[in-house]
Amino acid sequence: MDNPTGVLSREQKKKIIPYLLIAPVVIYYILFWLLPVVRAISGSFMSAPADEGGVFTFGNYTALFKDPVFYQALFNTAFIVLISVTLEFVLAFGLALLINMKFHGSGMFLFLALIPMSLPAVAVGAMWTSGLSTYGWLNSFLIRIGILNAADKIIFLGGGHFAKMFLIIIVDAWQVIPSVMVILLSGMQALQPEMMEAGYVFGGSRFKVLRKITIPLLKPTITTAMILRIIAAIQIWLIIVMLFGYNRLPVLLEQIVLNVDKYTGSEAFFRKGMALSVVVSLIVSCVSFLYLKVSGAFDEPAGKGV
Amino acid sequence: MPVLELKDIAKQYNKRVWGVQGMSLDVEDKEFIVFLGPSGCGKTTCMRMIAGLEETTRGSIILQGKDITDLPPRDRGISMVFQNYAIWPHMTVYDNIAFALKLKKLPSSEIKSRVEEVADMVKIGTMLSRFPGQMSGGQQQRVALARALAVRPKLFLMDEPLSNLDAKLRVIMRTELKAIHQRTEATSIFVTHDQSEAMSMADRIVIMKDGEIVQVGTPEDVYFRSADIFVAGFIGTPPTNFFYVDVKKENGCTILDHEFFKAELGKEDSDRLSGYEEIVLGVRPEDFILNKEGNGILKSQVLVVEPQGAHQVVALEVEGNIIKTLVPSDHSLRPGDNISFDFDMRHLHFFDKQTEKRIS
Ligand SMILES: Nc1ncnc2c1ncn2[C@@H]1O[C@H](COP(=O)(O)OP(=O)(O)OP(=O)(O)O)[C@@H](O)[C@H]1O
Ligand SMILES: [Mg+2]
Repeated sequence: MDNPTGVLSREQKKKIIPYLLIAPVVIYYILFWLLPVVRAISGSFMSAPADEGGVFTFGNYTALFKDPVFYQALFNTAFIVLISVTLEFVLAFGLALLINMKFHGSGMFLFLALIPMSLPAVAVGAMWTSGLSTYGWLNSFLIRIGILNAADKIIFLGGGHFAKMFLIIIVDAWQVIPSVMVILLSGMQALQPEMMEAGYVFGGSRFKVLRKITIPLLKPTITTAMILRIIAAIQIWLIIVMLFGYNRLPVLLEQIVLNVDKYTGSEAFFRKGMALSVVVSLIVSCVSFLYLKVSGAFDEPAGKGV
Repeated sequence: MPVLELKDIAKQYNKRVWGVQGMSLDVEDKEFIVFLGPSGCGKTTCMRMIAGLEETTRGSIILQGKDITDLPPRDRGISMVFQNYAIWPHMTVYDNIAFALKLKKLPSSEIKSRVEEVADMVKIGTMLSRFPGQMSGGQQQRVALARALAVRPKLFLMDEPLSNLDAKLRVIMRTELKAIHQRTEATSIFVTHDQSEAMSMADRIVIMKDGEIVQVGTPEDVYFRSADIFVAGFIGTPPTNFFYVDVKKENGCTILDHEFFKAELGKEDSDRLSGYEEIVLGVRPEDFILNKEGNGILKSQVLVVEPQGAHQVVALEVEGNIIKTLVPSDHSLRPGDNISFDFDMRHLHFFDKQTEKRIS
């Protein structure tokens, strides 16, 4: 083809344009995501920075895997994830169903339910710390309304290991239920009401229709909500530190922060923290992959739907 | 005893909006009833009240002698085909059809034979293991039908089931639906706003307007004895033409006097119109008879010709109104031609000018 105007033919230009368009994203991705990841991974296998005479080593990992606190953190995290995600999901689903019934005032209810979502995690931490301390507002409130005797204030933050974890689960649930609910609610509102109505006409009770129709149809939404929640729950740490301080209830992310950020000056801790962050990333990826696999997100789609 | 009795049922959606204002109707056993009316007249609302998907504000619904007004949908023994099919995309065709049967805890051999029977009836017998997403709109429609037939309902509701199909398929499905009805003899209510669909399928047509019933009758009733101007204008394609005319006596005969024509009435019609001075005359397009000599009752010029095959629709302009007539295709007509018509005096419709009701 004769090509008087430029170096590239029309065909070639057409092929190149999409790549040009995504180039900024690719560059951003390489600079701010891929590079740090590569450096974290490579750094976790070094005893010190290369220019300070560091050498290749598995030492950071062996140190990590010999540390009993790591296993404690692993267990605590797993426990919190399992219970809190289940609890949050069930409650959020119930709330979403309730609001979706569009009763009188459901709009106001939705607004109130969304308030916790709008608070930053630090504010939530501060609120609960001041609330749960022995002289905090929660005890005052319970005493004021007469449920509690002034003499037996509850020492919320001083409970045992599991009491601590349940406290964290409750506080976390309080904050994230609204976001899960909003995702589920938007999924519910996107369903054609006739799908459920047909269920009722053809002999379904409320429960049967929920189980056989609503939930299966909501599956893509549920998968999204669950995966977001699982990932976020594995990464819980700030609220724990704010309520109890470091090392009182070890969890994975808190341990990273502790090793990398708090034990300043110690190369060994810093390196162990890097190894831990690689391990946590691996865990998150594996759990997400497993969940998607089990929930059938990789299966051939059954069809384009109605 | 009627299968279904609607006793003055009404639905108020909110302070200002009434979906249905008050409907009373008896549906006999094995009847095929069609609800017909313009958009927003309350057809869907009425169906949904019968099915139990919408609360009934006033009145009662009696099915086979039992008051079902406040029963939940699943206890009514009614099945329904939804306008958008509403078949479940996550279930196979088989599971869609078997849903209600499984909930009734029928033995699985019985479920299987029933599913196969209805699937064959609607010609999707070979697609039972497919998912709805892998089927065309027309096939999905058949699944919805099979699902509704499988439960052998006391009453079979269909809300504009054909409106999402293309014109050709609609006509085919119309015939098939009628054949299925003749075979199953299920008492049915069918909603449409397509009057030709209504005419071709119904035992009786219920014509609705603004949440009320205007006329109930056989297709012949509503066509030849339309209850008012609304019905006459709604039924038939093209619809009835209307003329405001004066009723006069001349030499002992009753004359309909219009600026463009005068028509002399026979004895029977004259008696019907005694006492009226002004009326609305309705003439159906096919009741204009072409007068080849050019000295008919109404003389005008051809405005537009719309060929339809065996006949043609010839539009005229009379007093600023478009009048549509049906003329056999063997007369070749062109815009601007002079044309003259007689009226078929047996089929004239007279309506009261004030009440718009039929004068009988
Ligand atoms: N959920 C609702 N809330 C308030 N008003 C409604 C609701 N559903 C219907 N209406 C009103 O009730 C009236 C009847 O509606 P309906 O859906 O029964 O009409 P229709 O005859 O089925 O019309 P179409 O042929 O367009 O389907 C309309 O005026 C409509 O605006
Ligand atoms: Mg409708």
